[in-house]
Amino acid sequence: MILVFRLGFLAFLLLLWALAAQQMGGNVVPSPKATYLAAGRMLGEGRLIRALGDSLTVFLSGYALAIAVGVPMGILMGGFRVLGKTLEVYVYALAATPRVAFIPLIIVMLGLGVEAKMFIVFLGALMPVLINTYAGVLAADDELIEMAQSVGAGRMRVFRRIVLPGAVPFVIVGMRLGATIGLINTVVAELYTSVKGLGGLLAIYGNTFRMAEYFVVVLMLSLIGVVVTESLRYLEQRASRWRIVK
Amino acid sequence: MHRSDDGPDGRPVSVTGGRNPEAGIVFDAVGKSFAATRGATPISAIKDVSLTIGAEQFVAVLGPSGCGKTTLLRLADGLIQPDAGSIRIFGNPPQPGPDIGFVFQSFRLIPWATVAQNVEFGLMDLDLTKAERADRVAQNIDLVGLSRAADAYPATLSGGMRQRVALARALAPDPRVLLMDEPFASIDAQTRELMQGELMRIWAQRKSTVMFVTHSVDEAILLADQIVLLAPRPGRVVEVVNVDLERPRWTFDARAEPRFMELRRHLAEQMRKLVLADPSSEFFGRDFVPH
Repeated sequence: MILVFRLGFLAFLLLLWALAAQQMGGNVVPSPKATYLAAGRMLGEGRLIRALGDSLTVFLSGYALAIAVGVPMGILMGGFRVLGKTLEVYVYALAATPRVAFIPLIIVMLGLGVEAKMFIVFLGALMPVLINTYAGVLAADDELIEMAQSVGAGRMRVFRRIVLPGAVPFVIVGMRLGATIGLINTVVAELYTSVKGLGGLLAIYGNTFRMAEYFVVVLMLSLIGVVVTESLRYLEQRASRWRIVK
Repeated sequence: MHRSDDGPDGRPVSVTGGRNPEAGIVFDAVGKSFAATRGATPISAIKDVSLTIGAEQFVAVLGPSGCGKTTLLRLADGLIQPDAGSIRIFGNPPQPGPDIGFVFQSFRLIPWATVAQNVEFGLMDLDLTKAERADRVAQNIDLVGLSRAADAYPATLSGGMRQRVALARALAPDPRVLLMDEPFASIDAQTRELMQGELMRIWAQRKSTVMFVTHSVDEAILLADQIVLLAPRPGRVVEVVNVDLERPRWTFDARAEPRFMELRRHLAEQMRKLVLADPSSEFFGRDFVPH
């Protein structure tokens, strides 16, 4: 049922788009049909796929690195209170600083290549993953912890059997937020460093007023966003099946 | 902290506090204070509490709110240590683990674990083979009548069923001591009565030493061999009453017995007095009994 509504809304959006194209002319807003044809051309040339591959490489590797660092660090900070209390101020300060501010520094350090792009993505995705994991560990249910202690569980067991599983939903929320920011940072990185990938195509088509091709790239980026967040949402539902009251 | 037979200051522990194999749970002049916030002056939760619960006895600890009932149970489980006095469980200092089962008022089931996994959690500290473990789990789920819900998650169960799971978890390691903290207080009245009957049936099958905390006079009389009445702020023992009603009590309407009514009248009157005399109570100083 919700699928029907969603498709209906999509039709509505397409209609708006077509109207806008008609009103403003194809040079500013290309018609859906022109965009569709441009997509066909770009796919035929292989240009779109190559750019997509480049962007996904940067995004996925930076994002994976952010999870690989953020989750264990959040767990450590939550598990060792002194460590957490010491570091949290700096983590929050870093999270509040616009990460774009670091781009010139990153370029000086790592150049304009893939490493620099990956690092920009990593830096963006790290914070939500780390902060949510940390919050998840801290949010552990004290009553369940006491229950586990009364059963005879030591510190390690309490942590493994009660604290960590309880933090899973938080971690997944952090991963979802991190994916969104990581995707934004992928495009930002491709615009600011060597012009490559989907962000590069955006710059090229935007600067040369090839709006149909430009729209194809924008839609491609939205599509990646939908796929990534929806798969994480699915993961979240799988991981919290126990919450659902039948 | 290591404890020998002698008290902390080298004096021998009193007769009730010694290694009496017949005594299941012994509190000897136990005191415990808590600070509301860090640095604040500690407030005495219980003071100079001495009581003895015989092996395989069912003792209800009765008292108005603020009398440190939950503190007593946490002390008896060894989850916290007393500031004064000593506690013995079958002659040894209390140690959380499979020897002592704890049933909480708020159930405390692991929400991401099924009924069977929750019950198995109680066996964590025992050295069992996989088959033995599964066997124990099945047995105890059956004991509380939940065999059909073994794979359900707690969120799908009613309050009464959740408390059955918590009871099965506490009973699974076959503990010598069972501590129960107002286990039926958050269950609706009708289910509560049925659960009381269930508890009596199970206790008749698996005799363990039970310390059952409640603020319900009726519940205390229905279930217990002996009732320890506590006064609030700080919690201290006022009176110990033996319940001389015959067992099993759930097979007839024990409430209609004259002896039940007599005990009820006495305990209810005592409870009322304690509440009216408690400066922290909103009923302090009120007297609504017509003269």
